[in-house]
Amino acid sequence: MNNIKNITTLAILIILFISALCCTLFYNLPHENSSLILEFIRIPNTTKAIIAGASLALAGMILQAVTKNPLADPYLTGLSSGAGLGITLSILYFHSINYSLFGFIGALLTSVLVICLSGFSKFSISKLILIGLSVNILASSIIAFLILTNAEKAYALTLILSGGFSSADISKSLLTTLFTIALIICIILIPKLNLFRIDSALTFNSLNKVLKYNIIFIMLSAFLTSIAVFTAGILGFIGIIVPHLSKILVGNDFRILIFANFLLGGLILLISNFISTNLIAPIQIPLGIVIAFIGVPIFIFFLLRRDFE
Amino acid sequence: MIEIKNLNLNFGNEILFNNIELNIPENKITMIVGPNGTGKTTLFKILNGEIKNKCKITNTFKKVFYLPQKIYYTKGITTYDYVSSILFKNSWKWFLNNTEKQKVYDALRQMDLLEKQHLEIDKLSAGEIQRANIAMGLLSGADLFLLDEPTSNMDLVNQIKTLDIIKKMTLSGISVAIIMHDLNLSASYGDYFIGISQKHRVYKADKKNFFKPEILNEIYDISFKVINNEEKFYVQIFN
Repeated sequence: MNNIKNITTLAILIILFISALCCTLFYNLPHENSSLILEFIRIPNTTKAIIAGASLALAGMILQAVTKNPLADPYLTGLSSGAGLGITLSILYFHSINYSLFGFIGALLTSVLVICLSGFSKFSISKLILIGLSVNILASSIIAFLILTNAEKAYALTLILSGGFSSADISKSLLTTLFTIALIICIILIPKLNLFRIDSALTFNSLNKVLKYNIIFIMLSAFLTSIAVFTAGILGFIGIIVPHLSKILVGNDFRILIFANFLLGGLILLISNFISTNLIAPIQIPLGIVIAFIGVPIFIFFLLRRDFE
Repeated sequence: MIEIKNLNLNFGNEILFNNIELNIPENKITMIVGPNGTGKTTLFKILNGEIKNKCKITNTFKKVFYLPQKIYYTKGITTYDYVSSILFKNSWKWFLNNTEKQKVYDALRQMDLLEKQHLEIDKLSAGEIQRANIAMGLLSGADLFLLDEPTSNMDLVNQIKTLDIIKKMTLSGISVAIIMHDLNLSASYGDYFIGISQKHRVYKADKKNFFKPEILNEIYDISFKVINNEEKFYVQIFN
């Protein structure tokens, strides 16, 4: 009975996903040069929207399960400021158009640093959260300092840091490769995530044999988040609400949740992207703002419908 | 059988165990009694491998299942899902096959939870949730169960029901060690007894030799009266 309900929910999500995809691709498509616009603007943008939304949602889902904390978000490991620092440095000192690549590298380096530091003597989740928080604060004060000392580029920097799809072209194939790798790892590892539904004291119980999947999962989620940073800069909120929404919709089996998160994350970003480009065209509303405007009402609506603890 | 020799453990300046020797026999219920803070839970963690110690451990059990006093429960999953989660530990499969599903049903039947399998885990009673945890232990294939006060927040009927089920498990080749505070219940269900005293001394014996006033007095520092009624033992506080 439960299975039928879940499959119906997934089917509805797939239909919505495909219709949103068609909307963003073909809405208001001019007659001349339509194939060029599709190939060079619309298809790359929708791909990026799907990749960013799905990676953030999956990363959030993994982190919330592993930390057993409903407030955990993908930027837990100090990733957002690390990425921001990478972007800022690349624009100020390397004058690079490929700032998103620097963001990706910054995000990866910070999360590796934080995970290594928190695993230094004995790994614990609370240590990870606190070290992530400290690194986050340090990196964001460096960003603030850099912005203040470079007033002429301050506006451009703030705009880029608030998130949006990068226009860098060489990133396309690299991005899809990275995302495919991450997805394959996800599919292999996901059944193990069901183990996190039970207390970790119950999961390791043969003598002298301690299996630790949590570090692997935290690294996977950092990788996914870095990919999202690569595509769309720092987008808050998606990584927290989508996992919760999916849980409300399909329950707590991660083998189903992985699809729900993928579809829902992609869907919300597709819709937000559509609205941000079309609402007051030709002006683009920053994506992060649109996401908040769409996401918050939906999220609160679902929270109120269910007695949420 | 599991055997520990030369167990020494300090917490700061306080000596918890000083050159202690003990064992947990096979196919029996071992009751571990003693006041709070004498190291009963720590002993379980050493047996489980969670706390590393240089002591000599000889272990013939294949697998140990340790059930702590307080554990975390995920909300919004059914009893069946909760119990079957443990089966994802050893394989990379996406789906459980029919033999595994049958194993889950068998474990649930053994714990008398078959009717509750579609109920959400946070709607179970204290006794039922504890039996779900033990069902998970059965599925993990463990042959030694370390249960830390498993019946501490149950009513008497559920305590007896749970202990009866545990007793039945020992008939099928499973050994159980239980930390218990109720001396009368442990006297009626236990086969072998380990008592840890306030002064961190360890007393171990079978029922007849353990339920003696002088030993219980040593462990708890209170005067006890032991009534022996045809090999059934009852303990009373003696004022």
